[in-house]
Amino acid sequence: MELAVPGSAAAPRTNGVKETGGISATRLLVVLAQLGLLMLVLRQFQIESAAFLRLSLLAFAGFALHAVLPLRYRLPFFLALSLAGIALVLGLEHGAWLVGIGLVLVGICHLPLAFGTRIALLLGVVTVLVAQRASLLPAPWSEAIWPILGSMFMFRLIIYLYDLRHETAPASPSRTLAYFFMLPNACFPLFPVIDYKTFRRNYFDEDAYKTYQTGVDWMVRGVVHLLLYRIVYYYFTLAPAEVHGPGDLAQYLLSNFLLYLRVSGQFHFIVGMLYLFGFRLPETHNKYFFASSFTDFWRRINIYWKDFMLKVFYYPAYFRLRRYGTTAALVLATLFVFLMTWFLHAYQWFWLRGTVLFVWQDILFWTILGALVVVNSLYEVKHGRERKLAATGWSWRAFSTVSLKTALTFTVICALWSFWTADSLDAWLSLWSAVGRGFAADHGASPFLLLVPIAIGAAAGAMAAGGGRKPRPGAKRAFGIREAVQPTVTLGLLLVVGIEGIYTQFGPTIATYIQPLRSGQLSRLDNAALDRGYYEDLLRVNRFNSQLWEVYSQKPKNFLDVNFGALKRHTGGFAGGELIPSFVASTEYGPVTINRWGMRDQDYERVPAPGTFRVALLGPSNVMGWGVGDGETFEALLEERLNRERGGAGPARYEILNFGVPGYRPPQQLVALEKALGFGPHAVFYVAVGREPSQSALHLAAIARAGTAIPYPELAAIVAKAGVAQGMEETEARRRLQPFHDDILAAVYGRIADECRRRGIVPVWIFLPQVREGTWQEETPQTVRAAEAAGFVIIDLGDVYQGQDLGAIRLAEWDQHPNARAHRLIAGRLYEELQAKRGAVFAGEGAAARAGGTATSRKE
Amino acid sequence: MSDDVKTAVKEFILSEFLPGEDPAELTDSTPLISGGILDSIATLKVVLFIEEQFNVTFEAHEVDRENFDSIENIARLVGTKRPQDHDQARSSA
Repeated sequence: MELAVPGSAAAPRTNGVKETGGISATRLLVVLAQLGLLMLVLRQFQIESAAFLRLSLLAFAGFALHAVLPLRYRLPFFLALSLAGIALVLGLEHGAWLVGIGLVLVGICHLPLAFGTRIALLLGVVTVLVAQRASLLPAPWSEAIWPILGSMFMFRLIIYLYDLRHETAPASPSRTLAYFFMLPNACFPLFPVIDYKTFRRNYFDEDAYKTYQTGVDWMVRGVVHLLLYRIVYYYFTLAPAEVHGPGDLAQYLLSNFLLYLRVSGQFHFIVGMLYLFGFRLPETHNKYFFASSFTDFWRRINIYWKDFMLKVFYYPAYFRLRRYGTTAALVLATLFVFLMTWFLHAYQWFWLRGTVLFVWQDILFWTILGALVVVNSLYEVKHGRERKLAATGWSWRAFSTVSLKTALTFTVICALWSFWTADSLDAWLSLWSAVGRGFAADHGASPFLLLVPIAIGAAAGAMAAGGGRKPRPGAKRAFGIREAVQPTVTLGLLLVVGIEGIYTQFGPTIATYIQPLRSGQLSRLDNAALDRGYYEDLLRVNRFNSQLWEVYSQKPKNFLDVNFGALKRHTGGFAGGELIPSFVASTEYGPVTINRWGMRDQDYERVPAPGTFRVALLGPSNVMGWGVGDGETFEALLEERLNRERGGAGPARYEILNFGVPGYRPPQQLVALEKALGFGPHAVFYVAVGREPSQSALHLAAIARAGTAIPYPELAAIVAKAGVAQGMEETEARRRLQPFHDDILAAVYGRIADECRRRGIVPVWIFLPQVREGTWQEETPQTVRAAEAAGFVIIDLGDVYQGQDLGAIRLAEWDQHPNARAHRLIAGRLYEELQAKRGAVFAGEGAAARAGGTATSRKE
Repeated sequence: MSDDVKTAVKEFILSEFLPGEDPAELTDSTPLISGGILDSIATLKVVLFIEEQFNVTFEAHEVDRENFDSIENIARLVGTKRPQDHDQARSSA
């Protein structure tokens, strides 16, 4: 049955192609059934974000209506759906600002003025926007709209103006607005640079079912890419400091490049979704791992970008320069394209993140890739490249040539990519020392990873030699319901694999691997970067850990009004800094008061009053009480309860002195301990919050590289043994200390416990979990062992947040410190644990009580 | 009208980029750019060939997928630039 599509059967197009759009009810149901399955898979695996799920639901539901509308109403309907998507993702107010700014920009393009005048006006408006993005001028709208506004207009406006200047066909308002505000964009700051002419020309120019089904295929392909990305992101990525041998190096290089699957996955999905609304766009990526040369790589990866560059820069430059000779024009135009690619990446970075990107790796990466493409282009000009129209028989020559070229190209691109993504040139160079260490130095990576380029080459060779050829270009083939089988089966399999009741049947190992794939949490390395961000008061985001950036991008500019740095003063030495004595700040979460001794606490006398049982509490920001007001920290709550419920026996008063300092890592707690010992504690509570071994090593690496003296002989000996020296590159220093992580922590814990025992103080080690899921606890077992070996009294609060909605007990997604409610949970649970271990923890109670007196040292 | 253009372009593409291929496989509607036969370098070679052969000049913005994705489209574009084709087209219309 053909659905009635009024006015669609033969709607003439300006380019001679007839728009169609009709689809039978059966075929429409087939597409809708696949979209239903796809929605379940998106939900099952929490693909991208919650906003993306809502947007997909809107798009799929909108498609059901769009597909049966008369053709003339479809474009306005798509525009309305796109605007609704913006409101759904950004909210009405932010969405209205975004659309308003967009309408101004588009409106200027169509003012009845000379083209040059319109360009000048646009430049004026863009200059104001640049100043606002750079925070040089105030902007009345939220920060949140910048990345989306940028992704909608930063490149598309250039293409639109280019086409406007050269096109004779009038632009319809609904098509123009649909082009800029197109539906999936509200969820994706990284968006393919869609060509306006193609967007307009290919609208419903094919059989509607074929278009819709291709869209579904591409979205499924996108989901597969995104899941493969997660596997790489969670299980294969390594930090440069973790590269010890050639196998590790191969894993590092491969996983770095494979992370690009996220971009290709998103782009496939985005374009697939546009297919549902009749926009039959070209592929965004074409088997880019199988590129057999650098020009081939440039043609296969991010095809829309390449087309954009050709159209706006390459051809215009070539035509201007060809009077100097075609070869010179080709070389100069190609170099110009790579110069502009570098510049426009920095430009894109500015709109997305609000800062200027100028790093040598970027410049060198594009320069090297540009040079390789130029050399390759010159070779192709002279010798040509092999093209085929139809399938031929198997050719060993083709197989071996393409295999070799592909393996080499893949290897060079992996190396070049790792250079691009490295934090610094020194860090990248230090990676290669792994080659000389031999496979024995590898940490778990398989030497077989070195064979991956060969396997990729062989696959590409097999395809080129006739093993997997497509039909000849333009060959027509029947397109029917059976085309839905492959995506349906893929979706069905993903759905089944993602069901907890099923994957747990395959044993705990498989279940442990599949479980994280069902959510978009941060990887082990990004979690560590997030941790490191707290400790160093920096956003540890490089240009490529995009998931971490997405978390940070939600952070309001003046979150908490005051940052770690404002609370601390630099002191130099091993600790580096301390809380500023007598500092008072007012934050969104209440007052932050630092007492005269530099503790985030009430005031205390240096010597405890007789009858007082005094506890010195050591720890980082979670202990100090970052993000909660005075009196809301678990320390304050616990102290108050201990005193309130102390009964008749025991000491006259409990005092807990909060020596927590934001950013202090375990070795710095040795300095805090020295300070705390001056206040006569009966017990020292050391609070561990996760990643203790690696955090310890990070501090020692920084100290040793800076040439700061290490006042603890056992730590100085470890640094000397590892060979870490002043001025050493950070990655190298961290790599050298990696075998000593446990030794460093053992030395720190051992010293704390020994110093306490030597003075008759009870050392207590408290494990406080972080308020997040994920891989932060991977170092916990060895941390507990170190604490036990040191002889601490152990209090494990590992399940203190069990049964709680983590989102409700932390400050924010970008700041995962416990909030006031979490501090209450910690205080309650710690109180119970202390009661259970009263004999061991409060061993000095008797002495404190016998010392007599009820006087308090507290200054109320 | 533009058969001479189609023939010349087809022969050029076959000899330059598809040596040894069956000429029957290359039709007027075979997708050249989206089918991977013409890349940017090859497209510029075709441009140069047509400009020299038919004494026409292209603008940079005309070199795109719409105009160069098939021999048919190339011939149509060349037709708009050659006075005799233009006149023929008008008189036959």
